[in-house]
Amino acid sequence: MTNDDLRREVNDWLAAHWGGAGSIAQGMWDTNAEMRAWYTKVFEARWSVPSWPVEWFGRNLSDEQTSIVIEAFARVGAPGTGQDRFNLPANTLLALASDALKDALIPGLLKREITTCLLYSEPSAGSDLAGVRTRAERDGDRFIVNGQKVWTSGAATADYGMLIARTDWEVPKHSGLSFFFLPMKQAGVEVRPLRQITGEAHFNEVFFTNAIVPAANLVGGLNQGWRVLQTALAYERSTMGANARKSRHGSADDIIALARAAGRLDDPLLRQDIARVIALRRLNALNNARAKADLEQGTSSSIMSLGKLAMSRILHEEARVRTAIIGVESLLAGETHPTADDVNFLALNAYFTSIGGGTDQIQKNIISERVLGLPKEPELDRNVPFKQVRSG
Amino acid sequence: MAIATTLEERRAIAETVRKLMADENGEKRVRAVMETQDGIDRPLWSRLAEMGIAGLLVPSRFGGAGLGPVELELIAEETGAALACTPFLSSSVLTAGLLVASQDEAACARLLPGIAAGTTIATAALTAERGSWKPEDVAVAAQETDGAAVLTGTASYVTHAGSADVLLVVATTPDGPALFEVAPRNPGITIAALPTFDRTLRLDRITFNRVPATRIGKAGWPAMEAALRLTLVARAGEQAGGARRIFDMTVEYARTRIQFGRPIGGFQAIKHMAAELLLEAESATSAARDAALQLALEEAGAGEAIDLAAFACADAFAKIAATAIQMHGGIAFTWEHPAHLYLRRARAYSYLFGSSDLYRERFLTKISAQPHNVSAAP
Repeated sequence: MTNDDLRREVNDWLAAHWGGAGSIAQGMWDTNAEMRAWYTKVFEARWSVPSWPVEWFGRNLSDEQTSIVIEAFARVGAPGTGQDRFNLPANTLLALASDALKDALIPGLLKREITTCLLYSEPSAGSDLAGVRTRAERDGDRFIVNGQKVWTSGAATADYGMLIARTDWEVPKHSGLSFFFLPMKQAGVEVRPLRQITGEAHFNEVFFTNAIVPAANLVGGLNQGWRVLQTALAYERSTMGANARKSRHGSADDIIALARAAGRLDDPLLRQDIARVIALRRLNALNNARAKADLEQGTSSSIMSLGKLAMSRILHEEARVRTAIIGVESLLAGETHPTADDVNFLALNAYFTSIGGGTDQIQKNIISERVLGLPKEPELDRNVPFKQVRSG
Repeated sequence: MAIATTLEERRAIAETVRKLMADENGEKRVRAVMETQDGIDRPLWSRLAEMGIAGLLVPSRFGGAGLGPVELELIAEETGAALACTPFLSSSVLTAGLLVASQDEAACARLLPGIAAGTTIATAALTAERGSWKPEDVAVAAQETDGAAVLTGTASYVTHAGSADVLLVVATTPDGPALFEVAPRNPGITIAALPTFDRTLRLDRITFNRVPATRIGKAGWPAMEAALRLTLVARAGEQAGGARRIFDMTVEYARTRIQFGRPIGGFQAIKHMAAELLLEAESATSAARDAALQLALEEAGAGEAIDLAAFACADAFAKIAATAIQMHGGIAFTWEHPAHLYLRRARAYSYLFGSSDLYRERFLTKISAQPHNVSAAP
């Protein structure tokens, strides 16, 4: 099929079926009946995952042709395609699950009939994710799960949780992990909202008390969970970063406007600080553009790995300058003081980036080891049976 | 302006200059030249002239290579990394830039061929004792009668004036600042060498006492600003290159220096400093290259891109060079170790041709005048 034929086919299909966004849910975690109906149409027409094999709901299209489909959908504002690029659970399953599990879950995931959450971090496994202590024990054709997860978005509504749990305590930590699709709607799973320092509750704690997961929902084989997790994390990282949060009222996002409104844009010291933080954001954009250009020219770039570190510095520095601009007003809070509310929110929420997804300090270890070739951290828990590893 | 070279050609130019610097501009050479009277590595300068680099920005009709900011910045990364001691910034960038911007064809035809050939060393006096590089601080006044001008006053922080065959001077006139040429050996001129903290630099203070001068072109401060923009792009390139070189040396030392039975680069205290400096070094390179590109393409945002590069590269180089000494420890506290040469250059370039504070202020002035929300979080 030529690119033109494809373009014609997808445009014709959209013209015949797409009637505008209407009341289709837009959010990352939201679904509604209209959304599911549209995603089902897209799935049945094989537009959900254009690059996937024909036997797995796709059309076996090249990257270039997939982009043609994505662009056609984007042009009319229709969602649902390109899930071969961003649907984290579906991609993980396609890469590593048994055919039976793929058949059981992928259609539902692509049609948005099934939603998922990530059951990775634990109270004693944050930066050290391979140190998870939630246990899954074999019991015939199922596993019994006990333990606790944390920082789980969407847990209250999810149908399945992508669970990393320990299945062997006699081997070193990376070797005793398994990866499951755990049914969330069961008595052994309790979800409690976790209130953040900002006062919001976007995350949950999830407790397992003899929760049950069928052995058939094991992905990638027993004790192969670390490898599966690396695959899943790679998809997650490739789609992260695009959705930085803004403040509630949007009254402090533009730092120059904030200073102007506060009557402080003529303060020479503050001007220096404002220029500094705006420069940080510009420099990050220039670094990203250079990294992209390097990649396109086939030269590898070390800049990519710096992005998250750069962003956490930007957010904290911007928060510091915003606070300096509004000064004593930062004592106040709430709807009646939206600027203070925003500034204080941004100051606290900056930690989302400097801690979440690996703290700045872990990032610096990674950069210095992988990019600069400095010696690796000593691993005291390496080659030690996990049951002997200290925790706390 | 457009970009006259292809990416491959630019890579080849950078590679050639890098090799020249490695062959002919080792640290030993820098240390020897910086203690000489004029501080100029004459053999290296001749090689750069033969390669067309002395005349890089000079239009081909005046004997130059006719290239622009993008090539300039790339070459500057290499000369800056090597701390090359030449009048490249004075002669080939600032003065050549002033002459081209003056649009004075006769002056260009008279002066640019020698500059391009490297046989003429030229410099320009733009600022006074305050060293602000702002038009309002020019402290040389021109008195013009019947088409003949005489200059009186003081200029300072003039690079390589002691060696200059050609001296351009910005002086105030009733119509604002204007560009003049004087004979550097005129008896009304006193050139006093200033002792420099960065021994690879040569700076002079010049007093003018009724010195006959020739007006160059009709352009006012905008022409000076055009030449300063080129100079800042070159400075940013040298800063990015210098920053990268001292950073690489420091990481290499951290890999090989053993204390407590292991490389010091294995300690998180050192690793984290290195990771932070890598971000600074990469950001400086990005800023310098973007400023060069925007200027070459005459983009509307070129002014703010150059302001940004001017302070971002200066601050990054200063931070990297300073932290490099701390990361090395005692060895870098010695005169024999090259780290202090980079710190001296970094500190000098934080003020020569304008301070970071000045360019941050100008950057903010430009972007806060724009109606859209340029400072908004994406």
